[in-house]
Amino acid sequence: MLGQALLIAGFAPLVAGLIKRSKSRLQNRRGPGLFQLYRDLLKLFSKDSVVSTTTSWIFVVTPFIYLAAALAAAALTSLFAYFSPVFTSRFVDLFMLLYLFALGRFFLALASLDAGSAFGGMGGSREMFISVMVEPALLLVLLSVALRSHSTGLTAMAEAAGNNPLDLSAIFAATAFFIVLIAETGRIPVDNPDTHLELTMVHEGMVLEYSGRWLGMIVWASAIKQLVMIILFVTLFLPRLSADWPLVLQIAVLGAYVLGTAVTLALVETLTNKMRLFKVPGFLAVAGLLALLAIVAQ
Amino acid sequence: MEFIYSYLFMIGVFVAGIIFLPLLHHNVKSANYFAHGLAAMGSLAAVYCAIFVFVTAPQAFSIPLNLHMVVVSVRVDNLAAYFLAIIGLVGTAVSIYAMAYGREYFGRRFNTMAGLYLAFLLSMVLVVTVSHVVIFIIVWELMTITSFLLVGQEHDRPTSMKAAYLYLVMTHVGTAFIIIAFLLLWKTCGSMEFAALTAAHAEAWVRNTIFICSLIGFGMKAGIVPLHIWLPEAHPAAPTHVSALMSGVMIKTAIYGMCRFYLEFLGVGPAWWGGVILLLAIISAVLGVLYALMEHDIKSLLAYHSVENIGIILLGVGAGMIFASEGFPALAGLAWAAALYHVLNHALFKSLLFLGAGAVISTTHTRDIEHLGGLIKIMPYTAVFFLAGSAAISALPPFNGFVSEWLTFQSLFILPIALTGIAGKVVAAVLVSLLGLTGALAAACFVKAFGMIFLAKPRSAKVAAAGEVSGLMLVPMGFLAVLCLILGVFPVGMMGLLQRTLADFFAPGALGGLVNTEWYMIGFHSNSTSGGLSMPTLILFLAAGLMIAAVVYRAGGRPSVVHGETWTCGIIPASKMEYTSTGFSGPIRRAFGSILRPHTGMVFDNNDSPYFRIRVIVQMRITNVFTEMVYHPLNRYVVKLSRFMKRIQTGSVQLYIGYITVVTIIVLIWSTRW
Repeated sequence: MLGQALLIAGFAPLVAGLIKRSKSRLQNRRGPGLFQLYRDLLKLFSKDSVVSTTTSWIFVVTPFIYLAAALAAAALTSLFAYFSPVFTSRFVDLFMLLYLFALGRFFLALASLDAGSAFGGMGGSREMFISVMVEPALLLVLLSVALRSHSTGLTAMAEAAGNNPLDLSAIFAATAFFIVLIAETGRIPVDNPDTHLELTMVHEGMVLEYSGRWLGMIVWASAIKQLVMIILFVTLFLPRLSADWPLVLQIAVLGAYVLGTAVTLALVETLTNKMRLFKVPGFLAVAGLLALLAIVAQ
Repeated sequence: MEFIYSYLFMIGVFVAGIIFLPLLHHNVKSANYFAHGLAAMGSLAAVYCAIFVFVTAPQAFSIPLNLHMVVVSVRVDNLAAYFLAIIGLVGTAVSIYAMAYGREYFGRRFNTMAGLYLAFLLSMVLVVTVSHVVIFIIVWELMTITSFLLVGQEHDRPTSMKAAYLYLVMTHVGTAFIIIAFLLLWKTCGSMEFAALTAAHAEAWVRNTIFICSLIGFGMKAGIVPLHIWLPEAHPAAPTHVSALMSGVMIKTAIYGMCRFYLEFLGVGPAWWGGVILLLAIISAVLGVLYALMEHDIKSLLAYHSVENIGIILLGVGAGMIFASEGFPALAGLAWAAALYHVLNHALFKSLLFLGAGAVISTTHTRDIEHLGGLIKIMPYTAVFFLAGSAAISALPPFNGFVSEWLTFQSLFILPIALTGIAGKVVAAVLVSLLGLTGALAAACFVKAFGMIFLAKPRSAKVAAAGEVSGLMLVPMGFLAVLCLILGVFPVGMMGLLQRTLADFFAPGALGGLVNTEWYMIGFHSNSTSGGLSMPTLILFLAAGLMIAAVVYRAGGRPSVVHGETWTCGIIPASKMEYTSTGFSGPIRRAFGSILRPHTGMVFDNNDSPYFRIRVIVQMRITNVFTEMVYHPLNRYVVKLSRFMKRIQTGSVQLYIGYITVVTIIVLIWSTRW
């Protein structure tokens, strides 16, 4: 499982780079290279940090907790178990994953308030608001898969998802989870990850005070979280090849799915614009209703 | 030593405290240590009694008095011992804390407060252990009256007295319903001993009435929406250590009453009973935490969170009742175990939070979090313990709140086994997502509360006078925080204990093997579902992640850190730039506006020209839906009815004699017809 965590952590900046590159290409620009985020992280890790005197130990501890929660979530997702039953475990649960993300978000919001700036407060308040809206929609969508497998264990859910044909309920559930994926990873139309205007920031606003290695850890952890959510989407909601196909082909298909999801995210980001914060509940309500329909259609 | 001696010792300690306290009314300091020390000793004796019962067997004894129908009988089975242990643990911590906190009240009727505190603890201990209807009602009343007097401790403040009277009236209405339920049971069984009370063979209307009366009666005390309106007024008015006891333990005695009724007296009932409880529970949970988010008085905030957590506890109770009525005793055991586990967890972290709030209030002398800030540098230990409590109540791993919330999620998730068909799936999905909503709202609320109180710069001068509180207040908080962590990391022991506790109420062997007994996980496997949670695995991965993060941070030498000011676009940062509590909860207030109905009133103070205003006064408030739409109209209707009935009293003596004559004639005629 630790190997799984390191693998995901290693590939996360690549996927983030792919999304950025696709967005740039779609906007008729050349854009940064695919491996730019790796270079950015190396640069950040070599820089000094500036710490505000208003902050306390919570500010210093948060990047560690955020990265640890992201790595633990990466270790617990059902990536390797997707391929081989050797890695199944009975005691890895969906709620562990969700609440690990909640732990990271709790401390990041606290750290945003710690610096005593209005931007941090704004970012923290908006992030908690979005998380309040996302939580029920996310649970409804994941339940539509869990109800089929009669268990909220991640490996059982992945198995049940793999065994089921692509029917209407699965399409609804996949669309609903895609909407929640956009919200949870902080992409347009919910939050703009490339914005430089503090008044429009949500996630970036929370980490405005961070610099140097701490900022590197937080950026990396966000990329890991994004990849974990994409893997969750791919393993639970997209159809897969049956187990008799060779392992290499299955891995290739999974990789293609992940890259395809990344490009689709970039496409969605280019086709829409950031919506007003108070329209986000309506947006997520669509996801919730689709998920309810998926449950009813089972 | 026989059980009866340890029990009587515990009672004796409290009674001795109450009796001998007036002798010390000259020396307040020694009265403080005497009273609260005896309270702590009595609470420890309560824990001892509970462990005695767990280790050996359920105990019962009775002391006959020569009164008609009244026998003081005490029965401590596993369920009572569980609640007794909770009272004892929280009571010990709060009593030690009160030794330091009580100094606030020196010179303000301190001895009365200490005596009432002892009586309050005594009454709670008695409520969960007596097993005779009349004695139960008597001790229930004693608990109500002592807590009423404690809530009204600061009776020079009009808000305190208003809150106390509201609490008194509502609790007495609830007690009336409880008495009705007990009387119906007595009529069915003919006995007043709990051991003999069972309504399993009564008619359906009797059982339904008992259910509804006990739900309203105990629900009033527990604080279920819509009967909760006394909670957010009474808890802030009481002294903080009493609030901790009320919120952590007293509302749990109402849950104890519900457990007795629904597990033992009424037995298995129709599924709609569980459905009603589930509906009330989810409404309480969501509304409780929504109103909590809007509060900026720290004690009101914590009081509303008690409403929310009672909702979560009752979700487990409702699911358990549905499983039992549909014939799935094993799953019912799981759901009841979730509810009881959350009872313990809530008692621990809620009292921890109240004690932390009390520490802050005792040094800053304000309850308003909009005036606080930056206390983490002045009160570092209190901040750590309050953070532990906040993380526990937000159900974050690795604390205990996560484990009991997981169990509640699982019991709701497996509801479709009992409620088959699409309806069952939809109901389960909606309940689970609403429970997730309350978890997210609770996390937002505690980010706000902790952030406003402890982080950033002080928002007013009141913080300047603050300092860290004494060790007597810190040690109990630390004890509770450590317990929260332990119960989160190793829930296996508790699950075994809960399984034994609940086994008394289900058919023998029905619960056997339901819950896993491996050391590293709690899991269940039954009826084609299974689930498992391994907290040590989670902790292991979190710890591994932390180590990797630390290694990554230190790789290539330690970076240098420069200190500077927060960037605020070049202006010198001041505390007015920080986010306020109202601002932080602003987006949520708008999004849930249809429930909360916020109003904003603005008064402009112009100086001839609207372009050069001197002052703008903005008032924001939310509508308390229940008070304004249910209770005030009810109030007005009752007053109107009373005014109408007042017309009978004309003041004319001849008319009164006329009334008496007419009624006497009617009674005579009626009685002769029999």
